[in-house]
Formats: sequence, structure tokens, C-alpha cells
Amino acid sequence: MVEFQPIQQRGFHNTYDENGEIDGFEFRFVPKYYKGYWFTQCRFGNVVVDGEVFDRDDIIFEYDGLEYTREEMFDLKKYWQFRTPLIYKIKKKGGLSVGYHDVSLQFGWVLNYNGALEAEPDGSGLGNMAHMFDTDHERRMLLCR
Amino acid sequence: MSTEKGHPRRGICLYSYHNLLGKTMTLEDAFLEMYDTGATCFEFLTSYIPNYPNPTPEWVDKYWRLCEKYNLQPSELGHWAENHLHRGPGMTDDEVVEELKQDFRLANLLGFKALRTKITCVNELCDPEPGWQNYIEKALPYAEKYNVRMQNEVHLPTTLHTPHIRDEYLDFIHRTKTEHFGFNIDFGTFQYRAAKGGREMDFSDVTKPEEIVDFLPYSWVCHAKFNYVNENFEEETIPYPEVIQYMIDNGWSGDLLSECECPIRFHAEESPEKFAQAMVEIPEQVRRHQIMLRNILGY
Repeated sequence: MVEFQPIQQRGFHNTYDENGEIDGFEFRFVPKYYKGYWFTQCRFGNVVVDGEVFDRDDIIFEYDGLEYTREEMFDLKKYWQFRTPLIYKIKKKGGLSVGYHDVSLQFGWVLNYNGALEAEPDGSGLGNMAHMFDTDHERRMLLCR
Repeated sequence: MSTEKGHPRRGICLYSYHNLLGKTMTLEDAFLEMYDTGATCFEFLTSYIPNYPNPTPEWVDKYWRLCEKYNLQPSELGHWAENHLHRGPGMTDDEVVEELKQDFRLANLLGFKALRTKITCVNELCDPEPGWQNYIEKALPYAEKYNVRMQNEVHLPTTLHTPHIRDEYLDFIHRTKTEHFGFNIDFGTFQYRAAKGGREMDFSDVTKPEEIVDFLPYSWVCHAKFNYVNENFEEETIPYPEVIQYMIDNGWSGDLLSECECPIRFHAEESPEKFAQAMVEIPEQVRRHQIMLRNILGY
């Protein structure tokens, strides 16, 4: 079972390097859409935490124990199972402070439904479903460690 | 079409519960909900098959145990004829056929004889992307082999008189004489006014109930779409009694699958209060809709 919000608080914590120093943070994301996706259909946007922008190409995505960049996702013939979290791993020296943080991200996708074909088939945009479904997600989350 | 009265089955689309699935509802919870309503069949989506497209034998066993325990028969498997799965140009016809074959095998494994096959559209009216006939025709021998019938969904705002329905899909059926391609007529196509709290749109040109008659020979499963069923078990935006009467009078004995499109569905994730509302309202709406169908059908 996952939380009802797309951005999951469960799994939100700082990460540590091999020397035990905080080197970033991670959280999980579960789309609210009614179906799963092939990762090749997914279009990932930037993450913003308390106003600080983390570029989509600097994010590491972990799924099923393996790590990928956004670019690698375009060739990943793997199915993002329904209601299965994708871990966002973000490098930030010193991580985030203990306390509340406003986390937001953009996520879109390509699907063959009721709309024009993808306008940016190079993957630079957020897919062709943005006209029907909101691509913006945000949540205020409490970080403990 | 037969002159004998039809006897449609009552069923449910698992899609109806999707806001809750994996959050507060397990697959077995959903089967129990469906059993409670008296429904006898269901629509599944490929996305709800764990480890799709390669379910484990253990999961397949569990699935059949649930079907048996709750006395529910597989009706339709919803899937997508995606031809833009990768960046750049679309896939070749053969690549699309391979994707379709994979889902045909799964449907066969899980007991589904009908598929809701979503063909790539190029606008909101669901005009199909040119060239769809090529990969669908190539897939027909495999649909026959695995004993499944692809059904293109006729979904609001598409009507049964939208030109591509006859000019492309019906023409394809007549030309190929196939029994493995047809229509899932979503009852939203008959919707004549906005639902309370639902999306405002132009309802001046919708499908008339009598228009369904010509399409019944090519339809085996229909999405019995609903927006809101009141406490008198009436859907106030879709002329259910009239449409179903045409189906019965023309001998249609397919499956009518409740598909909940209640406005709360689109807002459930916005706040704890709205999610709590969805947890109560969605199963209750499906139950009301099943009672409505029972009242109309008489069983």
C-alpha cells in the first residue's frame, strides 16, 4: 500500500556517503493516474524544494533496485508497475534540514488517448497528456533525519 | 440481430476503484466489493496485472482463486495499441503487432475473450492516427488464435455518428469480415447534460439511444459509464432505460460493465478530506449503479 498523495512522505530522508556525511536526500513518487506506464513513455521534469531547483538531468531515479538517469529512461523497456514507487535521489551537500519542506515536481507522459500526438517527440517536453491531466505535484513534508 | 430478447450480464470495471487500489483497497477487497453487488463479471486492465507483462505463476493462481471464491467471470481486458512508445518516429506495424500479441496471450491466460483496445488518436474526437488498419489487420490472425476480440471504445465526445466510426472502423469490419474487431460502446456517448460537479462541455450533439442498434452485432462488452447515481438509483445524465431497452429488444446478450466516472475521482488526491470522501463515495456509487442495472434488467 502507498500513501494517497503522489509525493510520498514515507521514504523522505537525507542520504549519506561512504564517510557517513550527508550528501543529499531522497523521496518516492507514485503517479495518481489509473494505469502504469512503460518508462519510455514517461517525461520527468525538475524537482523544486523550498524554492531551490534541482535539474531533471541531475536526478537519479531508482526502480526495482537499479538506478537510471532521465536520459536512460527513454530506452528503458521496463514497465512502471501500477502503485509502485519510483525513488528520486538528489545530491545536495549537507542535505535538507530537519523540519518541514515544500517539495514539488513535474511529471508527464505520452499516451495514445484523446489528443494530439506528442508535440516534442525528442522528449524535451512533458508529453501529450498535459492537456488532460495536471503535471504539477507538490506536498509539504516533514523530514526527520 | 436475433428477435429473441437479450440477456446481458451485469459486471464491473475494476477501473472504477482505481483511486483506492493499492492505497486502501487490495485486489481481493475489490473482488469482495464486486461480489457484494451481485455482478457476475469484470473488466481488468493490463496495468493491474502485477509484474506486467510477465505475471508470476503464483499470481495467476491467486487470480483464478479469487475468480472462483467470489464467483466472478473475466469479461474484458483493457489494453493499449501504443505505437509511440519511444522517442522519435512511431513504431513499425510489426513492432505494434508484437505488443498486441503479448496482451492477447495474457488475455487468453486470464480468461478474457474481449479486449478494450485503445488505438492511437490524434485529437479529442478520437480520430484514429492514419495507418491503424495495417497493424490491426496484421494482428487479426493472432486474435483468432488466442480467441479474443478487440473492441475500439466509442467514448465521449465521440458519438456513433462521428464520421470515423462508420468510415473507418465499420468499413474495416465489413472489408475484412472479421469477428475479432468491434466496438465497446461507452455509455458516456449518450450523456446529454453535465453531471453535478462534473466537466461542462457541449452536449448539443450526442449519440441518440436508437443509434446503438446498428452497432450491436459488433459489440460484445460495453462500458456502462456513469457520473452519479442518486438515492432512487437513477443516473440523471445518461438515458439508461432507453438504451438498454434497445439492446434487449435487439437480442444483445453481452456484458454491461459499471464504470464509475464520479467527479470526486478527479480530486481524490487533493486533500485528506477528499480522499476520505472518495473512499466512501466510489464503492457506494458502484453499488447504486448495480442496483440501477438490476432494476432495469430485472435480474
